[in-house]
Order: sequence, then C-alpha cells, then structure tokens
Amino acid sequence: MNIILKKNKVNELENLLDKLIEEGGASYAFLTDMAGNLICKNGESPVDTTTLAVLAAANFAATKEIARLIGEDEFSLLFHRGQKENIHFTKISPDILLIVLFKPYVSLGLLRLKVDSVKKDIGCLENKIYGCD
Amino acid sequence: MAVINLKEKIIQVKIVYYGPGRSGKTTNLVYIYNKLQEKLKDKMTNKLISINTKGDRTLFFDFLPVELGKIHGLDLKLQIYTTPGQLIYDVTRKLVLKGVDGLVFTADSLLVRREANLENLEILKKNLAYYNSSLEEIPIAFQWNKRDLAEDGVPLLDIDTLETDLNAVLKAPSFPASALNGYNVLKTLKMAAKLTIQSVIKKLVLPEGRAKAIGS
Repeated sequence: MNIILKKNKVNELENLLDKLIEEGGASYAFLTDMAGNLICKNGESPVDTTTLAVLAAANFAATKEIARLIGEDEFSLLFHRGQKENIHFTKISPDILLIVLFKPYVSLGLLRLKVDSVKKDIGCLENKIYGCD
Repeated sequence: MAVINLKEKIIQVKIVYYGPGRSGKTTNLVYIYNKLQEKLKDKMTNKLISINTKGDRTLFFDFLPVELGKIHGLDLKLQIYTTPGQLIYDVTRKLVLKGVDGLVFTADSLLVRREANLENLEILKKNLAYYNSSLEEIPIAFQWNKRDLAEDGVPLLDIDTLETDLNAVLKAPSFPASALNGYNVLKTLKMAAKLTIQSVIKKLVLPEGRAKAIGS
C-alpha cells in the first residue's frame, strides 16, 4: 500500500506535531509508517531523521513481537529515558507511528496527555488516508 | 510501501537484500556505502546502520539511505535494507520485509550452499505471504554472488544451475557478481531500483492501484 501526501495535508499534520512542541514541551516530533518511511516531521532535528524513523519503527516492531511472545497484544507505553533526551513511541493507527523526543526536565505525564490529544486529532488520519475525508 | 511527499517533493521506496547467511548481503551494502563515500567525500551525510551480533553477523538489519536523483520532479530516496540470513532470526527477518517495494536475492554461488539458497527462497515466499504479498507482486533481481572465488579454484555452482534452481519461474533479471570487489554490485542495485520504481508508479497510476492519497 503506497501513501501519497499532498501539500495541504502535510501542513495539517505538521501543525498537529507543532502542538506537541508548543504545548507539550517536546523538542522534536515525527510520524513514520511501520515500514520506517518518514511521513512528516516538526521541530529541531538533533539527528538524521530518516535513520531515526527506520530504527524507531524497527524498535517498535521488535517490542511488539516481545509483547506477543509473553502473551500481550502490545505494550501500551513505550519510551526510553536518557541523560539528555527521552523518546516516546505511540501507535496512531495500524500503519502509523508517532515518535516524540523530549528533554528529561519535561513532564512525561503532560507529554502523554498532549500525545493523547494529538493522537485523537490525527485519529482521522487513517480515514483521510483511505480517502474518506 | 512507498511514500510520496508532495510538499517535500520526495518519493521513498524500500529495497531489501535477502538471501542465505554469509551470502554477502551486508558486503553489498558496505561496497555501495564506500562507493558513495568516495564520490561525495565531505558532502556524505548518509550513514550505514548495522545491528549486528558480537561476531559481526547481522542480528536485525543493515540500513543505508541513498538518494538517486530525480524522477518526475521528485527526489528519489532509496531505503536499502539487508535481512539477517541465519534461520534463527526468522522473526526479525520478517519484520524487515514489512512494506517492502523491491527485492534483491543475493544467492551464494558456493557449491555447498545450493540447499541454503533454495531453502531461503522458499522462506522468502512464506515471509511475503505473511504480509499477503508474493514474488509475483514484488519486483526482484537475483545476484549470483562470490563469482570471484572461481579464480581460487573454489567449487562454485554454475550460472545455469542457479538460474534453474531459483529463477526458472520468475525469469527476473540476474547478475553474476562479487560483492567483495564490486563486480556488478551497483548494476544489481540499479536494476532493482528501476524495477521497484516502475512497479510503484504502475500501482499509483492504475485506478485499481492501492495508493492511499492524503490531501487534495
């Protein structure tokens, strides 16, 4: 299944990602498909986003397999804490993953709240993908 | 699954190198990476990512992003992956195939690896079936690797045997190659890229093509 992203929808998605930066304190946010293709991004990129998208999708997929092995459907919270940067993974739809980078001083609770709200906003993405909008 | 971003004017496609363990998939990528580095020098921003075991065997995948110029005004970005060849890594290998747009099957020309090649092609079919796909849907190029070993007197499978064993039904483009010295490495990649782009475009332009369009 291929995805064609038109300019207006990329802008719309970027605005939603901007909410995570402005209101949630994130430093960088991006959407990738489960195959590791970068869909769109917002914020100041600390690294090569193409590679980050690939590794994030792979990490999410591997973790999902671990969940299945131990009898879970999937883990609801997936995030890594670092010294200078944290990373948070959220499944938006069966095909789309939201990755957020944020500094350790940013509240994880607040960020998760904002991610939930943005997730709902992007929730209709799948409908839009299938041309239902 | 190819992604076309009309704002950034980018088309991204995923090509996966598949084949038995130690057949030279990673060596292909290392050669391509070194060639890019030779050409681009300081301008080179692409990194070769390898998730290996301690003994340098691929554990999850190798990944190399490559920009290949423009097509229909869009920057063409290839996402090149290898899979782990060893059978015990079947789960991770399957994960790498998710959303694949094109394949290179790197076969081992060593006489003793004939069974391994056959077995791997069968597993590839099963892995694709897991994603409701098949070798009839995904473009593939075959590479008969390690041809350079003939000079050292190592017994190799002849090209006809490889063709009959692996490519008799598909009749896909195939290349005798040596990933170690670069013989036909870029040619294989170019062919795989060409077939992949043709296939993606065909899926996009056909009305029954399974493209998802976001936006207006």
